[in-house]
Parts: sequence; C-alpha cells; structure tokens
Amino acid sequence: MAQVVFSTWGGNTVDNRKVSGEPQAVSYRLPVAFDGQRPLRAFMGWDGIILFDKDVDVPAMTAEYMKRVQTLYCCGKCTPGKKGTKVLMDLFQNVLAGKATDADLDTVEDLAELLKNCKCTLCQSATVPVFDAVKHYRPAFQAYLAPECRPKEEESAARYIHKITAPCMDKCPSHIDIPKYIEAIKNYQMDVSLATIRENMPLAAVCGRVCPHPCETACRRKNVDDAINIMVLKRTASDYERLHNVTPALTPKPRKAKSVGIVGAGPAGLAAAYYLALEGYPCTIYETLPEGFGGGMVAVGIPAYRMPREILQRDIDIIQSVGVEIVYNCRVGTDISLAELKQKHNAVFIAPGAHTSKPMGVAGEEKGYKGFLTGGINFLRDAYLGKPTGMGKKVVVVGGGNTAIDCVRVALREGAEVSCLVYRRSRKEMPADVWEVDGADEEGVKFEFQVLPTRIIVNEKDEVTGVECVRMALGEPDASGRRRPEPMPGSEFVIECDTVIPAIGQDMDLSFIPPDMGIDITKWNTVVTKYLPLVDAAGKDLKDSMGNPLSRTLMTDCEGVFAGGDAEIGPLTVVACVGNAHRAAAVIQRWLEEGQAYLSEQDIFDDVLTYLGVYDKGEQVPWLDSADRANQKEIHGAARAAKGNYREVELGFSDSTAQAEADRCLRCYRMAMVVV
Amino acid sequence: MVTLTIDGKEVQVPKGTTILDAAAQLGITIPTLCWLKKVSTTGACRICIVDIAGVDRPMTACNTPVKEGISVTTSTPALEKTRKKTLELMLVNHPLDCPVCDAAGECDLQDSCYSLKVDKNSYGADLERLPIRYDWKLLESDPNRCILCEKCVKVCREIVGREAIEVVDRGDNTIIDTMTREGLDCDFCGNCIGACPTGTLISKPFKFRGRPWTFDVTPGICAFCSSGCEVEYHTKDGRVERVTSADNSFNRGNLCINGRFGYAAFNSPERLTSPLIKSATGRLEKASWDQALEAAATGLKNRAAVSGDAVAGIGSPRVTNEESYLFQKFLRGALGSNNIDSEARLGYFSAQVTQWEMLGYSGGTFAMDAIEKATAVIVVGADLKAESAGFAYRAIQAATKNDAKLVLAGSRASSMNKFANAFLQCTPGSEAWLAAGLNKAIVAEGLASTAGLTGLDSLKASLDALSFERITELTGISEAALRGAAALACSGGRAAVIYGADVIRSADSRNAVAGVVNLALLTGAVTEAGAGIYPLDEKNNTQGMLDMGVCPEYLPGYHTYARAAASFSSAWHATVPAVPGKDLFQIIDAIEAGQITALYVMGSDPLQFMPNRTRVLNALKKLELLVVQDLFLTDTAQLAHIVLPAASGAEKGGSFTSVDNRVQCFAAALTPAGNSRTDGHILQALHSLVSPQTTVTGQTPDALHHEITALTGLYSEVCDHDGCKMGRVKNRTEAFVCLPLAPLAPPAGARPFALTIAPMLHHNGSMTTRSNNNLRVAGEASVFLSREDAATLGITAGDALTITSDNGSVSLKAEPSEQLQRGALFIPAHFSAAAVTVLTNSAAFPQYVSLSKG
Repeated sequence: MAQVVFSTWGGNTVDNRKVSGEPQAVSYRLPVAFDGQRPLRAFMGWDGIILFDKDVDVPAMTAEYMKRVQTLYCCGKCTPGKKGTKVLMDLFQNVLAGKATDADLDTVEDLAELLKNCKCTLCQSATVPVFDAVKHYRPAFQAYLAPECRPKEEESAARYIHKITAPCMDKCPSHIDIPKYIEAIKNYQMDVSLATIRENMPLAAVCGRVCPHPCETACRRKNVDDAINIMVLKRTASDYERLHNVTPALTPKPRKAKSVGIVGAGPAGLAAAYYLALEGYPCTIYETLPEGFGGGMVAVGIPAYRMPREILQRDIDIIQSVGVEIVYNCRVGTDISLAELKQKHNAVFIAPGAHTSKPMGVAGEEKGYKGFLTGGINFLRDAYLGKPTGMGKKVVVVGGGNTAIDCVRVALREGAEVSCLVYRRSRKEMPADVWEVDGADEEGVKFEFQVLPTRIIVNEKDEVTGVECVRMALGEPDASGRRRPEPMPGSEFVIECDTVIPAIGQDMDLSFIPPDMGIDITKWNTVVTKYLPLVDAAGKDLKDSMGNPLSRTLMTDCEGVFAGGDAEIGPLTVVACVGNAHRAAAVIQRWLEEGQAYLSEQDIFDDVLTYLGVYDKGEQVPWLDSADRANQKEIHGAARAAKGNYREVELGFSDSTAQAEADRCLRCYRMAMVVV
Repeated sequence: MVTLTIDGKEVQVPKGTTILDAAAQLGITIPTLCWLKKVSTTGACRICIVDIAGVDRPMTACNTPVKEGISVTTSTPALEKTRKKTLELMLVNHPLDCPVCDAAGECDLQDSCYSLKVDKNSYGADLERLPIRYDWKLLESDPNRCILCEKCVKVCREIVGREAIEVVDRGDNTIIDTMTREGLDCDFCGNCIGACPTGTLISKPFKFRGRPWTFDVTPGICAFCSSGCEVEYHTKDGRVERVTSADNSFNRGNLCINGRFGYAAFNSPERLTSPLIKSATGRLEKASWDQALEAAATGLKNRAAVSGDAVAGIGSPRVTNEESYLFQKFLRGALGSNNIDSEARLGYFSAQVTQWEMLGYSGGTFAMDAIEKATAVIVVGADLKAESAGFAYRAIQAATKNDAKLVLAGSRASSMNKFANAFLQCTPGSEAWLAAGLNKAIVAEGLASTAGLTGLDSLKASLDALSFERITELTGISEAALRGAAALACSGGRAAVIYGADVIRSADSRNAVAGVVNLALLTGAVTEAGAGIYPLDEKNNTQGMLDMGVCPEYLPGYHTYARAAASFSSAWHATVPAVPGKDLFQIIDAIEAGQITALYVMGSDPLQFMPNRTRVLNALKKLELLVVQDLFLTDTAQLAHIVLPAASGAEKGGSFTSVDNRVQCFAAALTPAGNSRTDGHILQALHSLVSPQTTVTGQTPDALHHEITALTGLYSEVCDHDGCKMGRVKNRTEAFVCLPLAPLAPPAGARPFALTIAPMLHHNGSMTTRSNNNLRVAGEASVFLSREDAATLGITAGDALTITSDNGSVSLKAEPSEQLQRGALFIPAHFSAAAVTVLTNSAAFPQYVSLSKG
C-alpha cells in the first residue's frame, strides 16, 4: 500500500518524513500506479503537493513544474502571470544550476503573494505547490546551492507528466476547453470559440441546447454567485456561424487507405466518424433510420422544440463534409451483419445507442391493451417520424426522467387534451432537469407526485380507460441516499385516461452482436471493453460515475471491434457519448496505425483528474458578485405547446449578452503534474 | 441605478458601470495601463486594483461592475505597494532604450513608473531579446517593449474588424504578431499604433522624424474620405510629420490608412510650389503669382466678356465649403457663367437629386454614429472601407457590439462580409433590380413601415409588375434570399441604409437610387426612430461642394435660378445668369463645338476621372485657355496654359461637410508649401482682378460665413470658430415620398467581362497616389478577377493581362480575388498612370470588356 510521505493537498499538511511511530493515515482519490503499472511517486497541482515516494527530487520537480507552466500554458495576458512565472522559472533553473542564493528563495513567497492579483488562476494556482515545496523542502533547495551537497544525477531520470485542466473542463465528459471558448466569445471571436468547441465536440449546436451541462455544476463562479451559462455560450458560438452563413473551414488530413465502419449515426457514431475522418480515415456509418433522421437519440428522442431538426442536420452535414458517409435504412444485424462489417472495414465502432424502453412492472402491461404504449422512447420516435403513435386524448406518462418530461410535452404538441406525469417520488427528486420540469409545468402538464401506478384499467374492448395508482410515503434512505418511497396502504385511486406511456428508462438492443464474435455483454446489457487496472491505495478498483472501470480503451474483446456511446457506458448523455467516442476514435487510430489499442498519458490523466475531482465546492473564491448570470429568453405561455407547434422554445443569447456573460468567467485553468 | 461609496464619497451610477467609470464620475483617477474606453476590457495590467470591503482580494476597477452598497478604496499602502511591484515585474527585461524609443515623452509605461516612483526593481530574470519586426510595411514592432495590454489587438479586431494581429506564443515569449508570424497583411490604418501605450508598435515613416514634444499639434478634419474624421496634424519645419486622432474625438481616434498615412502626399517633392505659365514653346515655365494671376484673370475675363457661356469651371470635392462657395461666386458673379460642375456629375449629384426629391435632403439623415445604434444595417453597392472607412467602423460596432443584423447587397463582396448575416450578390449592373427585389420582398413579407409615406400605392403597383422570377433571373438572387434579407432588414425596427458607388454609378442609377431610398422609407430608417440613410462618396467634401452650388443646376443652398438668381445678384453686386449652365459632359461637348474656349479647373483632374479619356484629352487640347489650380502637375495640369499651385488640406482653414451632413470647421496646421497658396486665397485674388466691384476682396472668414449662411439658408447657426467641435448645423426639411420602380433591363454586353472601376482599400482619390506611404502598400493598379475565372483562364497573380473595350485597351497585372464573382472585373480608380478611363464610354458601371493574357 502506497504510503503518503508528505502532503499539503487541500491546505492540510501531512508530514510523515520523520515520524518514528505510526505514520499519519491519509488517502487521496488517486491510483497507486498512474497507468496501472508505473507507480505514482508524486502529484503536484493547484492545491499543493503530494509525495508518495521519499526519493522524489522536490526542487527538480518544482523547477520542472514552473517551467512547464511558464513556457507551455502561461497566456502572457497579465503582468503578474507573464513576468512572475518567468522570474520563478528562472529562479528555480538557477537553483538547479547552483547559481541562485538562499535569499532568492525568499522571492518565492513574495511572488506567491503578488500573483494572487493574476487575471486568472493558472499562474496564481501554480504558485501554491511551488510555495509549499520551498517552504517544506527548503533544505533540499539549499542543497542544490552548495556544489558539494548537490543530489546525485539519478533523480533527473524522473518522469514528469502534466495536464492542463479546469474544474469545468474536467467535469465535461467531452473535456471541451471551456475557458478558452468562453474567452474567445468575450473577445468577439465566435469563430475561434466554435473551432475550440469542435476540437472536442462536433455537435456544438446540439450540446449548446440539450446538454445537461455537468460543467456548470463544477463552475467555480458558483462559489461567488452563479455558474457561467456555459451551455448557452456554446450555442451562441454555433448559432453565430449558422446565422452568418459561414461554412466552417475544416481540412481533413490526406485520405488514408484503411476505413472504419460505424454502427449508428447517433452522437457517439457521428463524433467518432468526425474525428477519424479529420485524421483521413474514410468512415461509413450504418444507420437503421431513414435519411433525414440521423442523430440517433438526439433526432428521435429529443423533441424538435428543444432541438430543431434543421439545426441538428446542419451539424450532421458538417460532420459529413469532412469525409463521413452515412448509409441510412441499414440495420446492422438485419441488412448487414456485424461480421460482414468487420470484414469490410479495418476497424468497427459499435455505437447503436439505447433505443428500447424498459418495462414499468405494472399489472396488465404485457397484455397489449389499446392505449398502453410500448414506451416513451418509442412514442417520441414515432411522433417524430410522423408514424401513428397510438396516443389518445388523455395521456398519462409514468416516469421522472427527461424522457418522461419529453413525452408529456410532446403529447401536448401531438394534440393531447390532458397530459399527466406520474412519478413515485417528489418533484425535487426527479432525475429530469429542473428547467425541463418547469417547462412542462408552464405548458399545462399535470403532475402526480409520490404516486405509483399499480394496475392498468381497461374496458371490455381492452382499451385503456385509466390507471390505478397508490400514493407513496418516504421510507428509509436507499443505496442512492434518497429515501425509498413506499406504498401507503388504502391510498389507491384511479387516474382516468386513454393512453399510458411508460417512460421508466432506456435499454439497449444488442441482439445484432453475434455470440460467436467474442464480444462480452455486461449484466446491465452494455458492451464490455478493455480497461486499465487502476486501483487505489486500499486496492479497490477505480470506477467512473456509472460504475464502469475508470479508464477504458473502448476496444471489445474482439480485436478491431470497438464500442462506445450509451451501449458501452449505459444510457447517459450526448456529451458523455461524444467524449467517449472521441477517445474511441483516438484509440482506433492508434490501433490502425500501431496495431495497439492503448490510452495516451493525456487520456489517463483525464480519468485520474476526474476521479480526483478538480472542482472544490467548498473553496472560498474572493470576488465581487456584481455581474449576474444571464439566462436565455424563451417563448412563454401554453400556446408554445399547441398542437403541431414544435417551434424552438429557448431563444439563445444575443451576441452582446453572450459577450457579457463570457466576461463573468474566472478562467480557472490549473496544471497538474505527476512524477512516475 | 446603483449607489456605492468610493474613497468615502457616495456615487450613483447605472447598473453595469465599472468601478473605474464610477470613480471617474467622482473625479477619482485610478491608474490604468491596459484600459481603453473604446474596446472591451482586458484586465491585463493589474494596475487598477482597488479594495472592496468584504472581498478578500483586490479587484480590478476597469472590468468589475459596481454593486449596490459596496465600499471601494482606491488607494492604500498595500495597494500602492502591489501596483509598484506589478510595475517592477513589467519592467523585468524591459529595454531601457527610451533615448531612441519613439514613445519617449508620450509613453504610458514611462508615465506610470514615474508617477508610482518605480526607481528600482526587486525582480530579475534571464534576458532573452525577442527579434524586432523591421519587415512590415509602415509599421515596426519591437516586442521587447510590449506590455501585452492588447489594445492594438482589440482595436484591430473590435474597431477595424481585421484581426491582423494577435497575441501569440506563451509565457514570457508572448508577443503581438500576425497569426502566421509572417508579414503583415492588413488595412494599414495604423489604429494599433495609435492605441499602443509604449514604443512597441510604431510608425516607420515617423521614426526619427522628431521627439513628440517638438511638434506643433493642430486639430483638423481629415481631407481624404467623406467620413470627416477629426485628426491632429503634428507639424514641424513646414511639414506634416504624423497624423493622429484623439480617443475623445467623434471618430474615437480611429482613422484609416489615408487619414493616418496619406499626409505624405502633402510633403511630396512633386508638390507644385510656383505658378507656371505655358511659354511660346509650349513648355510650362515658372512665373510669379502676379504674372500668373494677371494672365489667368485677363484670359478668363476677356473670354467671358464675349459671352459668360464661353467659360466654364470644374470645382473640387477636396476644397473647403468656403472655397467652393468662392469658386462658384467667381464663375457666376465675376465671369457671369453658370457652367460649373464637378466630378459629382459622375453619380453622386444625380443620386442626391433623387434623394432630395424623395426625402427633402441630400446626404445622411443623422450623424453617422446613429448607425452604431441600428438594429439592422443594410449596405447596398458599397465597399465601405474603400469608399468611406468611418462608415465601416460604425457598421462593425453595430453588428458586433450592438446585435445589429448586417445585410450586404451588391455585386462585389468586401471585407465587411465576415460580419454579414446575409450577402445578396447580384449580377454586376443589376443593382436597380436588386433594390427593387428588396422593396418587393419587404412588401411581400408584410414588413413595410407605411406610416406617413406618400406614393406607396404606386410603388406597390410598380413592384407588382415585377415578378420575383424576373428579379431572380436578372440579379441571380433567389426569392427566398430576398425575403430572408427583408426579414433581417426589418428586424428590431431601427434600420440604417448605406449606399455607395455601385448603386450611385450603376447603369440604371435612377431606379437603383430610388429603390434604395424606398428601402430606407419602407424600413423606417429615415424616421426619428430609424438610424438613417447614408449615401457614400469617396471624397471629403463632395456634399459640401454641392451644398455650395458647385453644379450648373443650383445656386448655393440648392436655390433655383428662377427663385434666387436675383437675390444672389443683388448680394454679389453682379449679374448671375438666370438659366442653368452646362454640366460636365455638356462642357466637354461645348469645348468640342468651340462654344467654350476657356476652362478653369480647381483641385480636379478631369482627364483622370472622366470616362472616354481619349475624347476628353482631345477636347482639353482644343481650349484657348486652360487654367488648372492644383497641388500637383496632374494629367490635366500638364495641358494647362496657366498652373496655379494650391495648398493641401492641412495648409488651410475652413469647413468640410461629410456625407452625413456634419459641417466641421478647422484651422490651418501649416502655411502653404513653398510658394503655393490656398484655393480661397487664389480665388479672392482672381475675383478682385476680374471684378473688383464685388464684396469679395479681403473678406474675413466670419463675414464669409455670414454671407453663406444668409444666402444659402442651409445652416441653422454659424459656429464661432473658437473651440467648435461640430461646426455648423444644417437645416433641413423632410419628405417621405416613395417612387415607383421600373428598372431597365441591363444591357447585354457584347464583351464577356463586366468591369467596374471604383475605389480600393488603400487609397483615396488620386491624392494618395502621391503619398509614398500608401504607395508602399499598394503601388500600382491591377485588374482583379474571380479566382474561378483565373483558374479557368490559367491566370495567376502578377500575370500581365490586356483589357479591351470598344474604346481602347490597357494592360495591367492580374490579381485573383475571392471578392469577385465569375465574369466580373475590378480596377481601382486611383492610379492615373494606368489611364484606365481609356476603356470607358460612360460614367456608369459595369462596362463590358474582353480579357486576354499578355
């Protein structure tokens, strides 16, 4: 078990360097071996230093850290940052060269103080571990000053790996360089902003509209007042290009011979294709739905009033413009087998999505009653494809997620007189986004909270006439920390309706994967991919927030077949699927070029930081809270949900509002470095 | 409103105000280095830090908005210490080459260090000098002196819209450079130099011309384009050594290449410094002023004595209002001729007659800053930067900072396209159809603002007669595009309409101009709630020249002869002929017919700008007397019998009227070069020699203004010339008359290429072709063609091409351009050496030509 030798992380000093008895027990959310093999000897970053190996050369590490900050990341756009880190870099280099004096080391504290006036956090936060190093390891620095005491050379072989991050960037599953794209908007450079977004997110118009924006939950501005409206700023950059009739200048690398076949034109399939095509690999996507319905769940799962189709299509067209072919009306497993695909292409990426509904577990559900629909996902898809949905006039939707909300709101637009949502917990516990629930409320959706459907009531013709429900009371907290709702005996009642739509959850249909290809499926019906054996100090496997192994190469057990998106992660978000597929594209490229599917150090570092957590909600951020968060305008009133009205509800920002909102960003860059 | 306390004093400011501005309201100055009012805040220098009670770190005043109830302290020992240390950091490795630094004496860094008493440095770092850019044209950049305030970058991006320079590289190597780190390709407006607080970005022509404090600095009005920018002439030893503009001026210190660098024309060694008289041998030889004036006066007087109709005058859009007034007064009052015209005849004049008919005034509706507040800016047939850069800067502000929709329409793309929400690219020559199409689309979309309009029904009826199919067929623009643009043009309800050379000089300019003015009426642009209509002209005082009656149809103030000839005659103690005179083209006809035998040309080079150069040349040669008054020995002057050397815009006082009807007064910054004289001086001398009984001689400027105001009725008041900022205010009446549109079918060109000759970005008129500064950037005419045509014809940049029309041919270098469509050619109008008017048959464009290699 890795022993913490010394740490100042988070402002708590742990010093086990010279303890005679039991060392102070402390653990951090870090793997003991950076990539599962090379031991993590030290970690240095915005919150201090952590040493797991007493032999780490702290002055050399410090000098290297400051050199990288100054020469690789310092933007030069403020005086203390530009010049202060230069002075510090040279100072530490002079220490290593034995040219500094002991008094020079005092400058470190002076500059750490002065750099608190930096414009952003990069250089300022870089002084934190550097100051800690000098403060706690001063003799080691002094040793360099006296030639006879200088450490032996072997330490210079130490391997340093660094990663630039920010709380929002880290939290974004696609790791978009959010501060950069926001700064570009602040500087009236919408094109630069969008180009930055596209480096990690080819569906900017989509994620500018429908992303649950986890980044905003990790926005440091929240510690001052409210988070930056990161999502709508992304939309602004994307809308700007569209509203100025600009065709983005995307130049793919010269076309290569090897090709990639992709299952599914959803966010994951499109993203993987985009990044591979930019690298010169011809990509063919095989999509079940007909032409005009590309986009996967974004197209058939997210209603047009949230994601206008022509805008989605524009993103798809741009992706296709770099060399991506989409074969529509082609269901893999039926129209072409996965094995054929593997034969036809040099690599295959499986990203079919999660397009089936989970059963809700209620009496009568399996009997095929008229008016009991097969599921929310199917209902939304049929509505969008213009197929008969089987919906009547009085609709009950069961569920509490975004799909359930989409269903009740689409039901209104499809002409329902009553649209009612039934959920077994309370409003504030709904997994759906708050603004979606509010939106449904405004449109006249009825809500029945803490209610569990128990039985479908039908007439003699097997037509649904109602749903019997029981009221729920809160019991003890369950594993998720939420109090488990329990039925209240005798509280049964009936909601009259002619349509019931279960929207409990999504599931994957992986039946197209033949059992003989060696591709494993988890018990949650996701595709198994290879991963790094990362463990913490207690020997526990590191997992991501979905319970999957933290660092995955995304190659299945079948060589050359990769998997991503909802079918690999479990049903999640567009942004998660895009991030996952971007990584898959990089791994596929390595596999095609080097014959090995592996993660880069930067990939691994992304995962390590996500596991560690970059955002600290407890951090005191001294700043004047005098610029309020801007929220986009939207169309109000029930008429926005009138029958057939799929006009976009949210209206985005004006450019000037976006610029002012961008100016609120604190640009919380910071650099982490490990010694392995 | 938000109430806060700064240094114990309470102040109320609007929400969103920065602490810096709130402090300024209290008279408290917080030191800054990177803050520049006209661009977005940067927060780079960290000098403006202040303490706010309850906030556990200093905040930068320049970019922190106020908050209700906060208590701000702008100076404490700790703050001062931090500021001082920050400056010490700024000085780490800063070259102390102040003795040879251009900025010494006007360096913000110097001033800041001095005022904060930074006399030592606690910090040091290894010295690595960055290379100085000596290879750029007109600009030199020494990144070692840079404090990374980003003012230059922001001015280039946010004001000029160019993005030619950027912050590049990382850490201490971060510098301002081009993105490619290659040569600079930009507008060369030098606004970055103007914004630079140190000696980092400097003007090459100014380098080593003198220390800043050794110059006389005289405010003036730029004498190049029609934007009427306020400038400062820095003069020494009879020369303009640089031109700057203050940030608190109307134009916020923003100039273009002509304003900032065109002054080199004034210092040109080619300037005429002595009168010339053609000798018996036919050579122009130096003469005294007395000889030249006597000869000119006698010659003109004798011919006028036969008939006033035997003499004619061509005036100048370059000279002041007062000089234009004196010019026509001399022609009309002393010589008895109404044969007075100018280059405005090529388009601007008749466009303004149409506009007057419809709106009751010529020129712009409001001062051009109204454009910045527009919700939609519609630009028809104009290359804003080339024709009048000030309008480009205003439109950029509107589009990028105030959410205006920008609609560009015309046959040529321009540098404004990157800001456009819609670009309607029409076939060259179909501008009238394009304007009609926009009219029709606005009406069809039900977006027309109709209140107070007369003639709407006949306009609608005329539009009904034009089908979208026909419009699309002739313009190449779809109905959907027209409707989309109409919706943009009407969005927000505060439109501005700007129209330029390609409308004013289009083949069917009457319908094109009427269509554009209709557009302004239908969008409500010309109402009080609108943002105005603006005609563009390339030159500084075309509008004022016409106001002063330099045209055969009207007396000063657009008075008709029938109405006012008597009153002018009486005021001038002269007899003004009561019938209109001949216009520019009729003057040429009359010279050819022998009816006009004497021509007086002031500040104008008709041989250079008039169509059909060969014909004009032969006509001018036929004159018995040609008097040319100019700064240079122009093509026309070379034919003259008498040449009178005139003064530049920096060497005279008076007023200019920009196309947006701002009348701005200024004083001379220099005395006239050599032995030259101002046009006003020469005119008064000639006038008194020809007709000593009138009131002209020795008239003071005030008396002259009084006379102009009284007779023209144009101005509501007269400025007192003392510290006046805006000069006089023009009177105007308003009308809202729509005209029906019946655009003519564009002529089918017998030759394949549609040629337009018009202004380009780096020059203004032919004046700047006398400026070595401008020539360094754009040294000669070339022929621009589409990249597609270039590819088809196998033409690459620099290839020699021959352009042939029915009238003649010229040979120029090729310049493929993405701003042109297939079949279109463009030649800049400025270079007299190219003599491109040998190709043209009329003033209208396009003219149809053939193209061949070689």
